[in-house]
Order: sequence, then structure tokens, then C-alpha cells
Amino acid sequence: MSNEPAYPSLADDLLVREAREGNMQAFEELVARHRDKLYARAFSMVRNEEEAIDLSQEGWVKGWQRLRQFKGGSSFLTWMTRIVINLCLDHLRKQKRPHAVSIEQMDEETGGVERQMPIVVNDPTEGLTREELRQRIDGAMAKLTDAHRAVLILHEFEGLEYKEVAKRMGCSIGTIMSRLFYARRRLAALLADVRKERQT
Amino acid sequence: MSGGEALKTQAWLDGELPPAEAAAIARLVNNDAAARDLSTELRQTTAALAVGEPVRPVPESREFYWSKIERAIRAAEDSRPSASRPAWWRSLARWLVPAGFTAALAVWVASPYLHQRQQGSWVSGAEIESPLNDVGSFTFRSEAERMTVVWISTY
Repeated sequence: MSNEPAYPSLADDLLVREAREGNMQAFEELVARHRDKLYARAFSMVRNEEEAIDLSQEGWVKGWQRLRQFKGGSSFLTWMTRIVINLCLDHLRKQKRPHAVSIEQMDEETGGVERQMPIVVNDPTEGLTREELRQRIDGAMAKLTDAHRAVLILHEFEGLEYKEVAKRMGCSIGTIMSRLFYARRRLAALLADVRKERQT
Repeated sequence: MSGGEALKTQAWLDGELPPAEAAAIARLVNNDAAARDLSTELRQTTAALAVGEPVRPVPESREFYWSKIERAIRAAEDSRPSASRPAWWRSLARWLVPAGFTAALAVWVASPYLHQRQQGSWVSGAEIESPLNDVGSFTFRSEAERMTVVWISTY
């Protein structure tokens, strides 16, 4: 009988301990366990399937190389998610194309458009199932700019405070507040549009 | 409601406003219809986002996805051979390399002196057989010609 441990039954911290000793099978189990979540996070940041695969895989390679730095202050998944998010932010920074910026985008950066958008008082998500709502949010998120989407993901999904988001994105807290405000208002407007479409 | 008040309303809802300012914004939301509507919209959006994102599995098999990670890990490790050596070897090498260099330098500096001492015992014009059988070399020194010939043969 083999003495090899049954990796699928081991908890993350035990697998991490094994992987730190150079056990690649244990690390593979961690990858198999969390790869969908990390890929989904990368996809929500870059909105491109191939890039999301590459970035999530690069994240796993970095994770392996930095395993000794993981002190267990957070869960392994949280730690890995931060690595992937940082890679995505770097990727988006490098990708910043010098394309023509629309007037709307300029207003998004300087602030202005969001104050002219009508306030959505009626809950645009009313009557939707959770899965429908997830799909609507996903569609609306795809329409935001990279910078606005990133702020929303870091604050709403990763639960980071303003100052932590600012640090990761390399900008001021004021810019983060402004971007977050615009992103939320635009998201509300997009969800309201979907509701209108459904009613007609 | 000003732009600054709108941002502060958001910060208040996010729990990021200092207590002194929070009280003022809470009053504004209670008394101002626009501020109240804005806070309602922001709350609803935050609640909607709390539902999360759709489940999105990796569009590749477990084996294929892992194979690329494994290959990249091994390639990175191969490109850094010194990093994979044990720590005791790295610390030993740190001392051995300069020590070896110093020893080589000392031999080079001392070689004319050693050569001079050996010359006295050499017989002029004699043929000297190498004591090392496996080297297969003969050395011939002619003091008259001030010349040394080394004959190396391979078997």
C-alpha cells in the first residue's frame, strides 16, 4: 500500500506546508482546488479569456516561488488572489493604449458625468434571481473602463479600504473615491437600463 | 448637494468617514432629498454587488492547465542553478572562490623564485623521464641553449 498522503482530503495549510518542502503534487492539489476562483478574478479584471488564463498561471508560478513568504496571516486563497490581482494591475498598466479617449472617459477621470446621471431610486435588481443578477452585474462590469472596474473589484469584492486600494493602484485616495463613485453610479444606470429593456 | 458632499455620502456609507464628519453627513441624508436618493442608490448597488460574480471555470482541463504551470516553475528553477544548491554549499563557495584565487596568485608570484632554486639541481643537457606513467611526457632541459622542451605523448 502506498504511504502517499491523500492530497484531496488535506486542508490548505497542510498542502502549503508540503509544497514549501518542494512537494509539487501538494501544490498541484492547491492549484486544482482554487484555479477557477483565481481565473474568474483575473477574467473580471482584464475581461479576456486568454489573458486571464496566462495571468492566473503566472500567479501560480509566483505563488510557488514565494511560498516561504506566506505566513498564514490570511487564507492561502486570499494570499494567492492578491498575487493575481497585482499581476492584473501591472498588466493593465502596461497595456494602457494611447488610443483616443472619449469625452465620456475624460469626464469619468475628472469627475462630472456621474453628477449628471439621474439617480436610480427604484431597485433595478428587484425580481431577479441570484444567477440572473450575477449575469447582469457581469455584463455591466464589462462596460466599465479598466480603472473603474478595478476599483470596484478591489473595494467591493476584495473588501479593501480606500487607502489600500489607492496603494495598490498607485493613486490618491481622492482619485479612488471619485472612481468608485462613478463606477457605482454607472453600474446602477446600466442595471436600470436592463430592467427597462425587460419591461418593454 | 455638492460634489464633495456626494463623495462624503459614499464614504459615510462605506464606513470610511471620520466620526466628526459622519454626523454632518447623516444629518444631510436625513434632511436633503437628493442626498437621501443618492444614498439609496449607492446602497442598492452595493447590495447588488454583494451577490458576487458568475461562476467562471477555467476553460482548460486540470492536467493541461497544470502542465503549463509546472513547465514554467521548472524552467525558472533551471535558469537559476545556484539558487537550487544547498545553503552550506553557497556559503562554502563564498570562501573557496577568493581563497582559490589568492592561492593561484601566490603560486604565480612565487614561480620565478621556485624555478631558480630548481635549476641548480638540474643536470645540463640531461633527459628527464616523467615520474608519472599515465601522463606520458618527457622534459628535456638544455642550459647551454637556455631552453626546455616538453614532449607529451598520448597512448
